[in-house]
Amino acid sequence: VTDYGHDLLFGIFATPTAQPPQQAVEAAVVADRAGLDLATFQDHPYVNRFHDTWTLMSYAAARTEKIRLSGNVMSLPMRPPAVLARAHASLDRLTGGRIELSLGAGAFWDGIEAMGQRRLTAGQSVEALGEAIQVIREVWDTSTPGGVRVKGDYYDVSGAKRGPAPAHDMKIWIGAYKPRMLRLAGRLADGILPSLSYLEGGPDDYAGLNAEIDAAAEKAGRAPSDIRRLLNINGTFATNGTGFLQGPPEQWAEDLAGVALEQGVSAFILATDNPAVIELYAAEVAPAVRDLVAAERP
Amino acid sequence: MNYGHRLRLGALVTPEAALALAPAAEAAGLDLLMVIPAASSAAGAGAMGAGGDEVVSVGEVVPAGEAPGDGCAAADPEGLDAWTALSWAAARTTTIKLGVAGLAVPERHPAMIARSAASLDLLSGGRLELVLSGEKTVLAEAVEIIRGLLDAGQPGPLRHLGAHFRVAGAQRGPLPAHRIPISLTGTSPDLLRLTGRLADGWLTTLTEPLSGGDPSDDSSLAGVSAEDRRGVSDADQMAARVAAVVAGQKLIDEAAAAVGREAPEVRRTVVVASGWDEKALLELVVEHGVGTLLLRTDDPEELRRFAAAGLRDRAAEAMPVALPDVFRPASVRAKRRPGIDYDSLPASLEETAVEPGDLDYARVRSTYMRGGAPGLVLRPRTVDEVKDALAFARRHPELPFGLRSRGHGISGRSTNDGGIVVSLAALNSIEILDEEQRLVRVGPGARWMDVAQVLAPYGWALTSGDYGGVGVGGLATAGGVGWLARKHGLTIDKLRAAELILADGTRVRVSDTENPDLFWAVRGAGANFGVVTSFEFQADEVGDVGFAQLVVGAEDPADVLVRWGRAIEEAPRELTGQLIMGRPRAGQPNFAQLMTMVDSDDPQFVVDSLQPVAAAGPLYDQNVVLTSYAGVISNASDATHTTEGDVTARSGLIGHLTPEFARAAEKLLVSGAIHWFQIRAVGGAVADVAPEATAYAHRSANFSVTVMGSSARRVDAGWNELRPYFDGLYISFETGLDRVEDAFPPETLARLRELKRRHDPDNLFRDNFNIDPRGGAL
Repeated sequence: VTDYGHDLLFGIFATPTAQPPQQAVEAAVVADRAGLDLATFQDHPYVNRFHDTWTLMSYAAARTEKIRLSGNVMSLPMRPPAVLARAHASLDRLTGGRIELSLGAGAFWDGIEAMGQRRLTAGQSVEALGEAIQVIREVWDTSTPGGVRVKGDYYDVSGAKRGPAPAHDMKIWIGAYKPRMLRLAGRLADGILPSLSYLEGGPDDYAGLNAEIDAAAEKAGRAPSDIRRLLNINGTFATNGTGFLQGPPEQWAEDLAGVALEQGVSAFILATDNPAVIELYAAEVAPAVRDLVAAERP
Repeated sequence: MNYGHRLRLGALVTPEAALALAPAAEAAGLDLLMVIPAASSAAGAGAMGAGGDEVVSVGEVVPAGEAPGDGCAAADPEGLDAWTALSWAAARTTTIKLGVAGLAVPERHPAMIARSAASLDLLSGGRLELVLSGEKTVLAEAVEIIRGLLDAGQPGPLRHLGAHFRVAGAQRGPLPAHRIPISLTGTSPDLLRLTGRLADGWLTTLTEPLSGGDPSDDSSLAGVSAEDRRGVSDADQMAARVAAVVAGQKLIDEAAAAVGREAPEVRRTVVVASGWDEKALLELVVEHGVGTLLLRTDDPEELRRFAAAGLRDRAAEAMPVALPDVFRPASVRAKRRPGIDYDSLPASLEETAVEPGDLDYARVRSTYMRGGAPGLVLRPRTVDEVKDALAFARRHPELPFGLRSRGHGISGRSTNDGGIVVSLAALNSIEILDEEQRLVRVGPGARWMDVAQVLAPYGWALTSGDYGGVGVGGLATAGGVGWLARKHGLTIDKLRAAELILADGTRVRVSDTENPDLFWAVRGAGANFGVVTSFEFQADEVGDVGFAQLVVGAEDPADVLVRWGRAIEEAPRELTGQLIMGRPRAGQPNFAQLMTMVDSDDPQFVVDSLQPVAAAGPLYDQNVVLTSYAGVISNASDATHTTEGDVTARSGLIGHLTPEFARAAEKLLVSGAIHWFQIRAVGGAVADVAPEATAYAHRSANFSVTVMGSSARRVDAGWNELRPYFDGLYISFETGLDRVEDAFPPETLARLRELKRRHDPDNLFRDNFNIDPRGGAL
């Protein structure tokens, strides 16, 4: 049993479809009413079929009551970190602490460049993400006197005002797969948020991610349990089981409990916009996984 | 001096106060809520370096505790992000206009401002106004980029290679809900001239300066330094500020005139403090051309008093000839068409209406099949607005008048030349009414693919047409010949009730028990009787379906037709299909495409049912999948229609594809006059409904035949040979709109005429298979 000691979270990963305009909002509302923990949204501002994820999240936050909201993941190259920090903190205050910050170093660089931002190499984008986390934490830190000063290679903030501070200890989760980013996560982040569809070997690949993160965390003097392991999942409900997350809800529950217990993954975020699927996931999968995991955890 | 704008009143509030004040301002009847941008969001944004190793620092603008603007949230280090607060406020309000009083550029990248703006405008139902602050040359580029991205109807990606921004080919869109006005705020002469040249508005303040923007630009007192301010009395200060506004107006007007714009194109907004007397405020409006007054307050009581003070009424008395809310300059008005009383358009429709000179016109003029040049396109968003649109149309009885759901219509005049079009695209809601009964309520402007996608999770489907981009309204008032026709009938057979607006503006509900005559008429001849604003359908349980695209050789087209027709008639009802042939091309083999749906998730049943169909000719290619109905029908793009020219389509309904018919059809095919020949299966469940049960009466036909070509004369030369074989036509596939006698059998037509005389005696609904109330025996 791999266990980093986190409560299990279940959520959705919605498409920020701009037409019909309220579709993604409705998905969040359904997830909220169904009792899920997280409503998260993709962020691809270079795609013209999508809403601006931040605007959408702010709007959806005002339409929901309990559910926590997050990007999945916010595209850092498109969004200056101080703006991200202030916007997230603002919404966190408005929602009474329901917002988490998920950050990605950037994918689809052609699109990013077409929108007027600078193209970075993979290595540069990891370094930029590290600096961004520093900027964000500085902006949130209103107890330290003086302005924010981060003199980085990618972000240079000299004297910007601090605040607002989030209403709760906001987590920074990052999209991470490769060693450099995983080491950065071990050093600086509160969680990683990879997608199952990008793990070539399936959920078992998570063991390799964990090893890298745990080593980096320890080297930085942190506990591995400081970093939550999240996972974006995709699957299909069907009468007969044919594979991982391809089958009835009971089978999903066993599949996910297995990943939770073997890999220490504590958040399962389902890619779906479908209200019926959201309700089924909340009603029949989430509680069953919780029971299965509780029975095995010491 | 004033510009004739109808006075708008608003409030300027801090982001913190916006949450509570937005609903309060809306309830109080204010027109607009503007949020003060926190200085913190304008400065220290930590923008990424623009290129190479050079890193642009933007973090030094505001050292802590020294923010400009001493009276507002700018000084509050905990200041909430204004855009976030605004988005929240949008979710908690429904009618009030919204904006941030100065988004700082370049701290916010204009491309991202455009995306955010489009989103908030869509989410709020068209209530966003943009105000930008920054340095003049930066703003000039920003406005170009934002407008370029929001103008999703323009072809190709946006390229902008400027000194400040380099946008190397960004996708345009999403298309906002309305044309978002872009105002600039600031007082430097350069900025005022820029405002006159290209902005939709100017925002300035008579109170404390707003934060953000050009730090060298004191946005309250042009030309009056802080030193000077301290030495003068309040009254003198205010006089100086008003004078500065007046001087600013002059600069704007001159710059506008220099580029051929009219002064009213730039709406002037001024921030005032509470405590101003009404006379002074009215003077600003009537004498100094201010179109919008924003009260700077976070106090709900002050805001209510401001809204209730009667300023708008008094301004209207003083300026009796107010401009419409949407001001169109002379260059736009010059493109208006004769006979339309544009200036009497009701306020409710003003903002969404599109006329030939408008930016949006390219997006709304054409339909899927046909280019058009309507004189006015009305885009109601609510049932009441539909009534207003019909009232306006009633005043123009001489003009063409088209109704458009989503503009796919082949027969229907959903566009025209010089007339009025009412587009129902905004009435596109889809709502589950009763899960037990599988009842869904759908607006006329929804597309069938959207409907299918909403129903799919429930395991339901509604048979519609065969293309997902078709709008609900046109199809569901004509018939609806779709992929599930033989199993589940026509779309109208699934209709349980509808609400419509009649020619005189009355709203009625129709069903088997409520206005049953009209319910009968709506199902097949609806376009003659009213505008359906919502349909209530009973969906069918439809699981996965088999869908086959077969290609068979058609060296002998007549033989393929006969064999295919027989296979369809003998097939189980689960199977519905269509056949498509094109014009034969010299030197190329002839094909027929056979598209077939089998409403079954049993692969063996699907394959077995398909075999006889596939045997209609030598099988060249096949693609059979098990998929969802939504998967098949989700086959349309979101692009707007940009068609030019016209099309001739002919429709005929027929019982059986006999060898005689097939030979005549083959002759037409090889004539080269048509470029599209299509036969859809009907029959089955369609024929279970009695002919007199709905206005769609040709229930005995097994096939619906459609041809398309360019020249009506050439098409008809061949088509006339086929006519003897047909019994009736399907109005959605026929462009010969005078063929009312073919569209409806005599008893049906007589009943329709009688109903038409009763419900639309003046023949308002006249452009689509018109049943003339004056025609026929009285």
